[in-house]
Parts: sequence; C-alpha cells; structure tokens
Amino acid sequence: MTAAATTARSRPEVLPGLWLLLAALPVAALPHAWEQPPWVIAVLAAALLWRLIIHTGHRRLPSRWVLVPMVFAAGALTFSHFGTVSGQQAGTALLLVMVALKLLEIRSERDVVVTLFLAYFIVVTTYFFNQSILIAAYSLLSAWLITAALIQVHGGRPLPFRRLARSSALMLVHALPIMLILFLVFPRIPGPIWGSATEETVGQTGLSDRLEPGDIAQLLENEATAMRVRFDGPVPPPSLQYWRAQVMTDFDGRGWRTDRDRPEVPEPAAGAGDIAYTVTLEPTRARYLPVLDFPAALPPQARLRDNLQVVQRRRIDSRIQYTASARLDAPPALPLADGERARALMLPENTGARSRIQAGLWRAMHGEDERAIVNAALELFAGEPFRYTLRPPRLQGDRTDHFLFETQAGYCEHYASAFAVLMRAAGIPARVITGYQGGQWMDTGDYLRLRQADAHAWTEVWLEDAGWVRVDPTAAIAPERIETGLGGLFGDDVDAPAFLRRSGLPWTVEWRLRLSDWHELATFRWESLVLAFDPERQRELFARFGLDATDWRGILTALGVSFGGLGLAAGLIAVARRPGDTRDPAQRALDRVSRRLRRHGLGREPHETAAEYAARVSVARPDLADALEDLVRVYAHLRYAELSAAKRSDYEEQLLRAVREVRPGTAFSAHKKRRGPAPASAPVPR
Amino acid sequence: MRPRELKRHGSARASGRGRLREDFIRWVTRRHRADGRRAVIGRDRVYILPTRQGYMLLAILLVMLLGAINYSNNMAFLLTFLVVGIGHNAMWYTHRNLLGLEVTALPVAPVFAGTAPLLRLRLEERSARPREAVLLSADGAASRPAFLEPRAATEVAVALEPRPRGVYRLPRQRLSTRYPLGLLEAWTWLTLEHEILVYPVPAPLDGLALTGEECDGEQTENTGGSDATPDGIREYRPGDPPNRIAWKAVARSGQLFVRDTGSGNAAPLWLDWEGVPAADPETRLSALCHGVLEANAEGQPYGLRLPGSRIGPDTGPDHLARCLRALALFGQPGDPAG
Repeated sequence: MTAAATTARSRPEVLPGLWLLLAALPVAALPHAWEQPPWVIAVLAAALLWRLIIHTGHRRLPSRWVLVPMVFAAGALTFSHFGTVSGQQAGTALLLVMVALKLLEIRSERDVVVTLFLAYFIVVTTYFFNQSILIAAYSLLSAWLITAALIQVHGGRPLPFRRLARSSALMLVHALPIMLILFLVFPRIPGPIWGSATEETVGQTGLSDRLEPGDIAQLLENEATAMRVRFDGPVPPPSLQYWRAQVMTDFDGRGWRTDRDRPEVPEPAAGAGDIAYTVTLEPTRARYLPVLDFPAALPPQARLRDNLQVVQRRRIDSRIQYTASARLDAPPALPLADGERARALMLPENTGARSRIQAGLWRAMHGEDERAIVNAALELFAGEPFRYTLRPPRLQGDRTDHFLFETQAGYCEHYASAFAVLMRAAGIPARVITGYQGGQWMDTGDYLRLRQADAHAWTEVWLEDAGWVRVDPTAAIAPERIETGLGGLFGDDVDAPAFLRRSGLPWTVEWRLRLSDWHELATFRWESLVLAFDPERQRELFARFGLDATDWRGILTALGVSFGGLGLAAGLIAVARRPGDTRDPAQRALDRVSRRLRRHGLGREPHETAAEYAARVSVARPDLADALEDLVRVYAHLRYAELSAAKRSDYEEQLLRAVREVRPGTAFSAHKKRRGPAPASAPVPR
Repeated sequence: MRPRELKRHGSARASGRGRLREDFIRWVTRRHRADGRRAVIGRDRVYILPTRQGYMLLAILLVMLLGAINYSNNMAFLLTFLVVGIGHNAMWYTHRNLLGLEVTALPVAPVFAGTAPLLRLRLEERSARPREAVLLSADGAASRPAFLEPRAATEVAVALEPRPRGVYRLPRQRLSTRYPLGLLEAWTWLTLEHEILVYPVPAPLDGLALTGEECDGEQTENTGGSDATPDGIREYRPGDPPNRIAWKAVARSGQLFVRDTGSGNAAPLWLDWEGVPAADPETRLSALCHGVLEANAEGQPYGLRLPGSRIGPDTGPDHLARCLRALALFGQPGDPAG
C-alpha cells in the first residue's frame, strides 16, 4: 500500500459534498423500505451509520480485506434470497447493497460523484414498484438533494446551504422543459426488449377467476381503485352501469369458475346509441377487460368471446387505458348451442336438494312461463327474511341450501349464486357474471371511480324469446345497492368501512377521506396524462401535428422543432433579462471616449485617472483638448459631487454632449497600424 | 530572432505529444486577438468538453433509459429525461460561469533563478452573478479555486515553474471551471502579457575583487550626513531602511538611531564583471548578484560594470532593481548590452 493510501485510510477527510450525500442517499432509498426485504435496508442503514461514525469518531475506513469479502457476501446473499441477481426486485436489492458498500470505500471526490450518480439510479428503481404521484413528488425531493450534493462537490468551498438549495432547485426547473419534450418525442418501443416486463411482486388484486360466496365480501374492505371511467358522451343511469368482467358457467357445488377457451365472435358493428367511454384499468394480473354491458365497439387488442366476456392476449401487469363502447339495452343476438345449454343447466349431483324441490315447485306452478319462475325467485329474495349484509354467517354443508333455507343473510355473490342454482334446478340455463357496479363520481374530475369494493356479482338467464337476460337478484333484496352504490346501502351502518359511510364520523376520519379524495383526483390526472402515455398515445399526438411517430423523419422533425422552439424561448428570456450596462453613466462615457480614441492609439490605460488621461491625449491631440476638458469636468462632478436628482440629469446631458464633442476624426488613421500582437502598452523589454 | 518565440519558457522541451498539443492549441487560438494586460472572456473563446464524470453519467443515463424502455416505465423515462435535462443545461451553467469575466494580469514579482515566480491574475465581476470555483492553470500547475461575489474582484495565483536567469513573457494561461456539476469543463486560453524577470542565483565567490578606487573619473556625489556620530551611529531620518536601525542604541537612549555605514566616507564599491575570478559567465553573474545584495544590505553605494554596460554607484531599492535587472538580462537576446 502506498503512503498516500495509508494516510487516506488512517483518517479520511470529510470530502466536499459528503454530508449532503449521506443525507440524500437515505432520502432516495427510503421508498425501497416498503419493497425490499428488511436485510437490504438494514445493510444500507448500517453502512450509513458506519460512515457517520468514521467521521464523527475519527475512525478508519475498512480495509480492502474487509470490503472485498463483504461485496461477495452481499452478492451471495442477494442471490440466495431471490435466486437471481437480475430483474427488477433482485437487481434493485443488489444495487442498494452495493451502494451501501461503496459508502464504506469513498476515498476521493470521484467516489462521491459516482455514488451520487448511483443515487439517481436508486430513485429510478423506485418506479419499478410504485409510480404514484406521491412518489413522483418525492423523487423531486431526492433529485434536488442529489443535485445539491453534486454542486457542493464541485463548488470548491463550503457553499451556504441556501445557495445550494436555490441552484439545485433552479436546475430542476430549467430541466423540466427538456424532460417534457423528450418524454413526448423520444421514440417509444412497445414491450420489453429482454426478459419479462414484470415479476410477481404483488398478490392477485381484484376479481378472482373463481367465485365462492364470501369472496367478494373480502374485497369490500378494499378501498383501492380498480378502474376509472370517463364517459365520452351521455352517462347511463347507475342502474344500468354493469361492468362485465368475468362470465362463469361451471358450478361445482361450492363455487363458480370462469369460462375458459370460449370461441371468439366478431365485434358487433357500431350503432347510433352506443355509449362511448374510456377506462383506466389498474393491473389485474389477469387477461379480462371490464366492459360496460353490453359490449359493442372494442379496443384493438381485445377479443370478444361468445359469452360476451372481453379478454386481451397479454396479461394486464401494468396500468392500461382503453376506449370502448356499449349498447345498454340490446345484447348481441347469439344462439345457444346444445352443448352450451347443457353446460348452463348442469348442477352437480347431490347438491341443492332443497333448492331443487323449491325450483320444481315453481316449475309446477308456472309451467312454461320462465319469466314467472324468474320473478318468483326474485320475490322470494325480496320477501322472506332475507338480509343483505356485509358479514354473513359462515355457510356449511350444502352451500346453496344452507344459505337459502338457514342463514338467509348474504351479499351479492350469495344471491347471484343461489339464484343461478335455483334457475338451473328449474330448467332455465343460467350463469354468473362478476364485475363492478356502482362507484363514486369524482366531483371535479367528472369521472367515475370504481374501487375494488365495488365488485359485484349478478346472473344471466337464457329465455327462449330474448336470449341471455341480465337478472340481478341483489336489486330485489337491496335496490339501493344498485341505485346509489355501496354508500347508499351502508351509509348508516356503523360496521361498514369508513369510506362507505357518510355521517357520524370523527373529523380525523372525515379529513382522511377528504384527503384521499384529493389524492384520488391527482392520481387520476397523473395516470391518465402521464402514466398512460404509450406508443399508441404518442402516435396520436404526432398525428395531431401531421407527423408519423414510427418514422425517424417524423421524430427528427418533432425533436428539431421542439428543441428549436425551446432554444428560441430561452434566448428570448435571456435577452429580456440581460442586465443593462451596470456601470454608472460617467464611467460609461469615459469608456466610450477611450474606445473611440484607441483606434488612434490613444486608449486609456487602466491606471490612468480621467484627468491624467485627458492630459495625455491633449498633448497628442491639441485639437481635442477643449472637448476633453469639458468631459473631465462633467465627469468629476458626476462621480464625486453630491448632486440633486435634477442637477444630476442636467450633468448627464452635458456629459453626452461632451462625449459627442470628442471627435478624433480620421486624420490620424495611420495610427491604426499600431494595433499589433504586442500593443504599445505592454512593451517587451529590448 | 523575435523575442516572443525565444522567451516562451519550456517550449524547447516540448516534444512529441506535448509539441502536438502546443500546435493544436496554437491552431485553435489563432483567431484570438492578442491580450494585453487585460481581457474580457467573450463567447468566442470559451471552449467546453465533457469530463470523465460527464461520460460516466452518460453511461448511467443510458442504462436508466434501457430500463425505462424495457419495462415501459413512464416515470423512469421522466426521471431519466430530467437528469438528461440537467446534464444538458450544465453546458450552459458551466459556460456561463466563465463568460464575461474580466481578467487582468498583475505584475510578477522578480525571482532568483530556481525559485518559482508567482503568476497572479485579477478576476473581476461586474454583473450581479456570483462565480464559483474558477481555476487558473499555467505551466502545468493549477491554482486554488477562486470565487467571486457579484460586483467584486479577486486574485488567483499559480506558482510557475522555476526558470533559468532571464526575462520571459507570461506562459499561456488557462482559466477553467467545472462548476456546478463537474460534468463538463469550460475553459479559455489567455495570452495576457507581463514580463517575468529572473535574476541569477546569488552565490558567494571567494576572491571577488570589490574595487573601490578604480574609477574612471566619475566620483560619487554622495556627501555623507553631517549629523553622523563618531561611532557610526546617527539619528534616524525618514527614509532610512529599517534593517539599519541600531537597536542597541535605541534601547539605551529611547531615540531612534541608525547605523551609519559612512556612505559618504567610504569610496563607492564597484562590482566588476572583469574582477570576478571565474570563467563561467553564469558563475560570474551569480557572484555579482551576491555582491550586489551584500552591498545593498550594507547600505554602501555600489556600481555595477558589465561588458558593454555600466551602472553608476548609488544606493536604494531602485538602484538595486536596476542592477539586478541588468544581471538578469545580461547576454540575453533583446538585451541592449548583449
């Protein structure tokens, strides 16, 4: 080890910007605390603490013999934890621990700078896990601190924090236009270049592909947003807003399973009364797209199945936006094949014994009148002591019978499932649909927000004369649920989650709800404006200016025009804000005269006073002596006398006159030759 | 030979890459006007290039961009482009940190050969903008970073390489800055003019003949002070050098006394090139330099005689400077005596 290295090791000096780095790094890494395994955060915290102790306690930096094994250990730990060291989660963990170790070997200014660059990288990796507007605002704070630290490193002296803060903030502000232009214009390529774009980082959210009574009640507690809808035209009444997600035909006695591999049918032709809308869908980790019943025009990537379920090819792993339309009253007329009919009538043996008896009774009463049978079932739910509740008793034994004849208390999926079973027992083909219904209108956002809690289940029955007809048993027992959403139903229920209730809340909860509404609005704007920007939106944006986003010429044109405009704007601002000549008028006048005379070899030397200068010039140019005398007199007054404002402006006028009077003319133009590489003022000794 | 070419110290040693670099800089700066004592850094002479750190950030940004593309992560795009914007604007910030600065060359204090002359520039800021971390480099050495508050001035100094005896122009100066982010370096080349005077190294030489009598008719006019006391001490008169104060006498009497070396009585001392018992001209000059300094310290009037030039006996700092200058210039091209 060299002598220099030894001294660096024995007592590391506090490098410029190091303290700010130690402050910026935890700020940048903080959001990872929720995403990374605790040991990663612990390693980072320990390294920060260690570095602090090194400086406050005048300790030594750990030697290479300690550091190198630690680097290998960190790599091995990451690998053993994730089974890989690449990809979003593992790669981020590796980055964090390596930056932590880097902290322990910062020895030079260059190391500080590298670590700060990596801090920018840490901020970016945050977005693999969270792209909320709060994180966006937070990363501005991180970037501001990192940039301030970079300025301090290169400031060459301890800069006052106010100046650092100001400079750094200004830099961020100045960079915003460039960021915006590049964001909009930089060519977007769809899809991942390598590997899979996402990994399983969160569990399934939203609707599952299996429905068992009790499932949706769990979702009811979930106030997370499922989707946001903006209607492009008239808004349908709430009772017709059924967002169809999954269709379930197969019943195993306990629950329902989503249909798979149904044949595709062509997209219905667009009609006049179609309701057009745009959905921003949170990732579901499934392939279905919730659409308003009944689907008409569909987004290009979507496929319509013959059960009117809409799916897309790729799993929805990130937020997507799509535009579609719906025909509220008329489902596409599709025939029911015999196989399908049998499937929609199938009830497992040994299930719903009492339900079958009840259905048989109705069949006997109403004969072939299937609508009457449907109504009888709905009346059953509306009349008898059936209750609509969030917390139904647990079902045991035969689920349907136990619900229908014992507990008689349940939630939408209980009713939907029981109703479908009853219909099948009565010989009417029936299926269960899950999706969303209700939602909350955001006042200023003029869009509909559907939470996971707005998940709903209803049924469809096949009537020979009408085809598949939607029947919502929940509407029979709890019409408010359909008309005004969950809030209307549970507004006064003390057991209901706070966000569903409207009165009797402590102010803290009320404020939390109000804040969460604001947050929701900001989130919607953020998501629909920023996060939803994709190759498709970019094409639309370019097309609006008559450019082709897929052609390099279009991109170059957009880049050229926008950066040209930016440069022009910056130039105009710079010219508008350029400080005028800050010297005082007298000094300016003298400089002007000096410049004029310099062409004749008579420029003023820095050491000459005005009077000395005038005297020297007067000797060389007696013709200018009078004018110069005037000039010097006025100059002296302006610079050194106490003058009233009026007097001052008077003198300033005189000064201008005096300057005009100094007219060296062109008589001595031969002097111009004096201007050479070695001016007379700085002679080289000979 | 034009003095300009000869007086550039070190240009003779430049070889290979160094020479190429010199040629390149000369080619780049060929359109610059020669600077006199003072220059204002204009747009046309500020150069800017990324530093290693700049390229490093570029690499990291590329990785960030690849990540953003691969995961179609719009926020990653946003932050990447934000940092791109910061890096892009750094060009402007760095450039601006140098632009419009007024630079004046300050006189270089003469040095003895073997000692590093100190190049000093005065930086002046007339606008309301502070400047940070501006470096002056010359002769391969760099100054400490300089800072300027709005409408203020400061000095930057850099120790030049020691030079052999002679007179030189200032080496080319380079003002540079990496502020604020270190991603780019903006610099300018200046050719401010001042002379660097390098005296011979003073070296005592045994047998140096200090001739007091041999004089060619020109007697010194110096009449001694009439208030001289017998023991060579007289009262202090304004203008007497402090190193001649007779502290013992001062302590005794409480009045200021100076040692009177009897300049009026002693015959002027002649330091003569011919009287130096050495063959090598530099050795002779060193010995004469030593003699001049000794005589000056004694306060004795002395004269200097070199082949082709002669400086009459006198005392005082101006006289000393003239003599040392003559020694420095002796035999140099451009020296009137040489």
